[in-house]
Amino acid sequence: MVTAVLETTGLTKRYGRRTALADVELSIPAGRVVGLVGPNGAGKSTLMQLACGLIGPTSGRIRVHGAEPGTRPDHLARVGYVAQDTPVYPDLTVAEHLRLGARLNPRWDRALAERRLARAELDPRQKAGRLSGGQRAQLALTVAAAKRPDLLILDEPAAALDPLSRHAFLDHLMESVTELGATAVLSSHALPDVARVCDHLVLLARGRVHLHDDIEPLIARHARVTGRAADLDALPPDVTVLARTDPPDGPATALVRTERPLPADRRWAVTAPDLEELVLAHLARAARPGSPTAPTTRPETRR
Amino acid sequence: MIWLTWRQFRTQALIGLAALLLLAGYLLLLGLDVHRAHQDVLAHCAGRDCAGPLGAFADRYRLRADLLGYLLLVLPAVLGVFCGAPLIAREFEAGTHRLVWNQSITRRRWLAVKLTVVAGGCTLAVAFAALLLGWATGPVLAVEGARFEPVAFASHGLAPVACTAFASVLGATLGLHLRRTVPAMAATLAVFTVLQLALPAFVRPHYQAPERTRVQLTAPIVANLSKIGTYGDIGGLRVPGGPWVIDTSAILDEAGAPVGHTDWFQDCMDHSSLTDLPRCLADHRIHVEITQQPAARYWTFQAVESALFALLTAATVILAVRRLRTRAD
Repeated sequence: MVTAVLETTGLTKRYGRRTALADVELSIPAGRVVGLVGPNGAGKSTLMQLACGLIGPTSGRIRVHGAEPGTRPDHLARVGYVAQDTPVYPDLTVAEHLRLGARLNPRWDRALAERRLARAELDPRQKAGRLSGGQRAQLALTVAAAKRPDLLILDEPAAALDPLSRHAFLDHLMESVTELGATAVLSSHALPDVARVCDHLVLLARGRVHLHDDIEPLIARHARVTGRAADLDALPPDVTVLARTDPPDGPATALVRTERPLPADRRWAVTAPDLEELVLAHLARAARPGSPTAPTTRPETRR
Repeated sequence: MIWLTWRQFRTQALIGLAALLLLAGYLLLLGLDVHRAHQDVLAHCAGRDCAGPLGAFADRYRLRADLLGYLLLVLPAVLGVFCGAPLIAREFEAGTHRLVWNQSITRRRWLAVKLTVVAGGCTLAVAFAALLLGWATGPVLAVEGARFEPVAFASHGLAPVACTAFASVLGATLGLHLRRTVPAMAATLAVFTVLQLALPAFVRPHYQAPERTRVQLTAPIVANLSKIGTYGDIGGLRVPGGPWVIDTSAILDEAGAPVGHTDWFQDCMDHSSLTDLPRCLADHRIHVEITQQPAARYWTFQAVESALFALLTAATVILAVRRLRTRAD
C-alpha cells in the first residue's frame, strides 16, 4: 500500500452555522500532483488551510505526514503553502524574502531559491510591494519551494494571473515539484490548467468530495456516447448516465460512467471524454437537488 | 525570527530612537541646569531659611518639569498605539500571517519573539527616558514635595516602565483579536486612557491603608492652597514632607468644629486682600483632618503599581496565546 501524505477521516469544518466541509474522507498518496477543483465556496480553501494547520477542524481528523498539521517546527518544515492571493511583505525586497526563508527554515535550499528567482527573472533588489501579480506569485512559490517541502499546497495561486503569466507560473510550478520530488495539491477554477499539470483529481462541491481518483483511470471509466436518442435509452443497465443532451436535430450525446469499457455497438459511437466535461457533468449532478450525495462520496476509489 | 521582527520594526524603531536621543539630549541639558541652580540656591541660603529661594527655584522649572511629566505619562500610550497595535494587526491586514505561519517555526514562538523584541524595545526606551527625567527634575519635585501627584507618580520611577510593557503587549494582543490596525490602535488608546484615569482615582489610594492625620494650617500652607471655598472647604493642599493627600476635611477650629459659618471666617474671606488672607485665617489656629499616604511609602507604591502592570501584562500575554491556540483564521 502506498503511504498517504494527507489523510482525513470525517473531516468537518463549520464557520458559525455555515458548513464549509462536511465529513470529508480523503487519502492522497505520495508523489501525486493533485488538482482540487470545485465551484466557489465548495470548501477548497478551507481544506487547504486545514491541511497546513492554519485552522483546526470542527470535528473529524486530518493527518499530514501522519501528524496533526502545523503544530511542530519539523512538521511545518515539510509542508510548503502558497496562500490565495499570494501574500508577501510589501516592505521587504525580493532578496529579503529569501533571507526570511533561510532564517526560518532549517531545510532551506538557497541554490534552488536563487535558481528559481533567476528563472522567473525577478530582481532581488525590488520591493515585493512593487511586483506584479505574476511576479508576486512566483516569489511566493519560490519561498514555499525552497523550504524543500515534501508536500506543496497551492491555493489558486494562478487565479489572478493573465494567461501568459499563468502559463509561465504553472511551468515553474511543475519544474519545482519535479525537482523536489514532492507531492503537490493545487486548487484551481481553471480546468485546462488542472488537466495540464495534475495526475490526480479531487472534486469538491458544497463541502463534500464527489470525485477522488487518479485522472487516467478516472477518464477510462467514463465515456462519451453519441447516437440516436432512442438508442441511448437502451444503454446497458450497469452504465450510469451523468449528463445527456438531446438536441432537436442531430444525434444525442450522453456522458456515462461505466466500470468496464462499453462494447462496440453500431447503434452508438463511444469516445473518451475530456476532463473538463467530466468534471462539469459531475458538478451539475452534485448541484441537482435531491441528488444522492452520500453514495457519490469517494465512488471512484473502489478498485 | 528576530531578524524578521527587527526588519519589520526597523522604521518605527529608528524614528523612535532619534526622538529618544533628542529627548535625552534635552533632559541632559535641563538636568545639568537644574542641578546647578539647586546647588546655587542651597549654597546661598546655607544656615538661613531656604523655603523662599527654593520655592522660587521650583517655580522657575515647574512648567518644564510638568510638561515633561505629561510627556512621559502619554509615552506608554503612544508606544502601545504605534508599535504594539500594528505589530500583529498589520500581518492580518496584508495576509502575511499565512506566509509567516507556514515557515518552520511555531506560531507561539513567532508571537514570543515579536512581543519580546518590540515590547522589550519600547520598555527599555521608556526606562531610559524615565531614569533621565527622574534625575533631571528630581530636585524640583523634591522641593515641591509633589512626587505623589498623579502625573509625577506615573511618569517617574518604575511605574512608566511597567506601564509601557503593558501598553505595547496590550496593543499587540488587541491587534491579534481585532485583526485590523486602526481599530486595534483605537481600542488600545481607549483601554489605556480608562486605565490611566481609573488607576490614580480608584485603585492607587488602596495599595496600603491610608493614614488619618491632622495638619495645622499655617500661613504658607494656606497661601499654597488652590482653593478656599466660601464655607471652608479647601483644595490643592500640599503638606510639608510630600505625603499624598487623598482627602481633606473642611477647615476646623481647635475644638474640631467646622469654621465655615463662623463670623470671623466670613470676615476674613470678605474683608482681607489675597495677601492678607492666609495670615488672617492662620491666626485662628485652624487645622484640617486629612487622609494621606506618607511620603515614605513612595517606593512601596511604585513597586505595587509596577507589579500590577506586570500582572496585567502577563494576563494579556495569556489572552494572546489562547487566541493563537484556537487558530481561527
